[in-house]
Amino acid sequence: MPRLGLYEATQSVKRLRGRFNVRNALLVAAVVAGSVSAVGYHFLRYTGQINGDGMAPWLYAFGVLLTFGAAFIYMSFRYRKRPTSFIPVFWAPIAAGLVYLAAGYLVSQIGQPSLPDDLNLNVQLQGFDLDTGRPLTVATILKMNVITLFQAAFCFILLLRIRSLVNVRRTRTSERNWNILLGLMVFASLLVFMRSPRQGLNVIQSLALVPAVGMMVVNSFRMSWIVYLPFRDKLAVIGLSFLLLILLVSVGVMDEQLLGAFNFVPFSYTFVRFYSYPLSVFFTLSIIFGIIYCTTTILSLLFHLPTASAFQQKAGEVAAIHSLTELVGQVFEPDALYSTITAAPVEAGLADASWLLMTRATEAGVVPTVESTFRISPGRLREKIDVSALYSDIQSKRKPVILGSAPADHRISARPGEGIGSLVAIPLMARSELLGALMVTKEVTQGFEPDDVLALSVYCDQAALALDRAHLFEERLEKERLERELAIAREVQSKLLPQQIPCIRGLTIHASSTPAQEVGGDYYDFAVLDENRLAFVIADVSGKGTSAAFYMAVMQGIFSAVSAIADSPRAFLIAANEALVRVLEKNIFISVLYGVIDSEKETISIARAGHCPAATIDLDGRASLWRLDGMGLGLDPSGAIFAKSLVEETRRLSPGDVFVLYTDGVIESRSATGDEYGFDRILSVLEQNRHEDVDDLHGALIGDLDSFVENGAYGDDTTVVVIKWHGSAFMPSETMSRMLGTRTTTGE
Amino acid sequence: MSNFSVGFRSTGTFTILDLNGELDAHTASELEAAIQKCKDDKSFQIIVNGNQLQYISSAGLGVFMAYIEDVRENGGDIKIAALQPKVFNVFDLLGFPMLFDIVDNEQEAMSRFENGSTKN
Repeated sequence: MPRLGLYEATQSVKRLRGRFNVRNALLVAAVVAGSVSAVGYHFLRYTGQINGDGMAPWLYAFGVLLTFGAAFIYMSFRYRKRPTSFIPVFWAPIAAGLVYLAAGYLVSQIGQPSLPDDLNLNVQLQGFDLDTGRPLTVATILKMNVITLFQAAFCFILLLRIRSLVNVRRTRTSERNWNILLGLMVFASLLVFMRSPRQGLNVIQSLALVPAVGMMVVNSFRMSWIVYLPFRDKLAVIGLSFLLLILLVSVGVMDEQLLGAFNFVPFSYTFVRFYSYPLSVFFTLSIIFGIIYCTTTILSLLFHLPTASAFQQKAGEVAAIHSLTELVGQVFEPDALYSTITAAPVEAGLADASWLLMTRATEAGVVPTVESTFRISPGRLREKIDVSALYSDIQSKRKPVILGSAPADHRISARPGEGIGSLVAIPLMARSELLGALMVTKEVTQGFEPDDVLALSVYCDQAALALDRAHLFEERLEKERLERELAIAREVQSKLLPQQIPCIRGLTIHASSTPAQEVGGDYYDFAVLDENRLAFVIADVSGKGTSAAFYMAVMQGIFSAVSAIADSPRAFLIAANEALVRVLEKNIFISVLYGVIDSEKETISIARAGHCPAATIDLDGRASLWRLDGMGLGLDPSGAIFAKSLVEETRRLSPGDVFVLYTDGVIESRSATGDEYGFDRILSVLEQNRHEDVDDLHGALIGDLDSFVENGAYGDDTTVVVIKWHGSAFMPSETMSRMLGTRTTTGE
Repeated sequence: MSNFSVGFRSTGTFTILDLNGELDAHTASELEAAIQKCKDDKSFQIIVNGNQLQYISSAGLGVFMAYIEDVRENGGDIKIAALQPKVFNVFDLLGFPMLFDIVDNEQEAMSRFENGSTKN
């Protein structure tokens, strides 16, 4: 928490700094110091300690310009932000003007002499020594300072607020025009620097006003902000501009020489001019600009009023479509996307009802389906409009179909006055493929103008992109989901294979299984029947992939359950066949080789149900395929032919005998030239490696297969089990019962 | 990619399917479609000529299993003729000769049909 406190502290310091940064503080200090010094100067002139000669008036005039220049710069920083609404823009100068009038009126009441009759009335009223400009009373000092300061505030606020209007949709030209105007105003003001307040403008000084006023007119044509005003705001702005105009006229144009006319701030010109002649010119110019700008504003607004509602509606539609387009881009869930897309044009006021068609692949081919409707019920839609006929029209044209008078069209069965006056159907195209169509109706006939159709088309392009993206997104999700599922399936299946080789007297075993895809149909397993007997099985489900994996799991269940109770390989296979014919699909069968090794009797018994024959070799190198009769499980539903064909054989074991069990994936593996691995090659590898222990023998078989397949492909699941008999005296060490895993060298 | 095809021939009441190439999990559907077509045409006396069949996988064998019952119930049969030794070995390993008439040539298949002998 202390860290948070520290953070907040730094933030508030930053905020304070932002508000009172050094630049602003200096500007404010300059303004305050300048105004106070001006009061001091006037006071010294009043007391006569300074007269109108020498350096002092120059210093004063220069200081005044610096002071008000600083004030203008400071205020222009304050008003730099772009206004969010245009009504407050008018309030600020109106308020400033009212404050000025009030303050001016109040100070003008101070030291007002009772109406005398003599000719020096003006002099007395104004309170200046007209020749030297010396203030004659303290009240005069107060009046000239207060009036000047408030008039400055009013004029600066007026200028800066007008600037924010002129700057709407600014261009380089508009910015330049504004700067030229300001420059010309300053230039015209500076021409009267140190001119006597008693004198009027000379020819040059008067002519300098002309370009300034010209630029005012140019800047007054910057009215683009008006266009975006809603109708009611336009009315409000007309009122406010009018108010401001009256205010400006009352401040600026009132003739101070006109006796008897009411004036809030009598002789305000004189006061400001005696304060500073350039300021007076600048203020006058500002007020003239304000009057021009307000006048053009009022006139433009008046001309814009009749079109305001149409324009506002169009702008509203554009804005609504735009915001909905953005929304559409954020939705991925198809149903939500459909209803958002459907509702948008109606909510934007472009139509009265709408519905969305998406093509959907069904058994009958690709058909358009109404996915979503808005302000029209699906039932009414079916009843009144032949949607698929409209869609096939779109399909052939790939362009919007516009029915100006819908009831006249043969595809619309609504009669005039039933709420379907005109209809537009727009194709939704993405990557030059037709995804569907959006159809909208209006109650009136000829309800869609060309620009409406254009707006709808633009919208539909966006919507189609969003739909396309949502579809891609969904496909990817689906793919990822499938991949996850398959990874789980593979994990589960690997658990169905033995994790450990059982440990039994006289035997060593090594085994591996590799599915061609994520999951496969190969299976091998062992079961210790009793202390001397081990059952082994190898099985291959027809086909590959997921369905094979399911039946492999079934086979595993049958082995676990039946091996314990079957008293011979033949009995096991008959029982397994019986169990399987009930669950196997017609076209699925399982080849199985099942055997039992008795380490006490030193015998091996096997039976073969359609499986690849075991490859055997003895110590002397006599290699052969142990092929017995027997058909695959699940081929004979009755079981009679199966049982009749099934042969079991028992052989005596002698030390060094090796038995290799494998699936047809091994035999049928292809080399790069397309040759099959074949049975003979297994036998020759066995012959060469028959003296090795099972691990090396297994390794030699797999190694040979790998080198054969190199650059070729394992098309099928491959499983290899190697069993070696060492004689009943041989006791396998505990380390022999080790973990097994699937090979990782999957060839796809 | 597919290097398997099925050709149709008709001789009298027999429909002869000439299998060509390699019949595996990917191409099994083509044989399925061919036998289904025989069924739709009500020609249930089907002879499969495997002279040009280079390879058959367990999925390919499954196609015969899927249809044999139906065909026999309709009084017909699927007889397999002229298999290459290597392909025959695959049939033989699984015990198909006990379920199907697997003969050396089409003539033998036809005469088996005429004798009316079917397995099962």
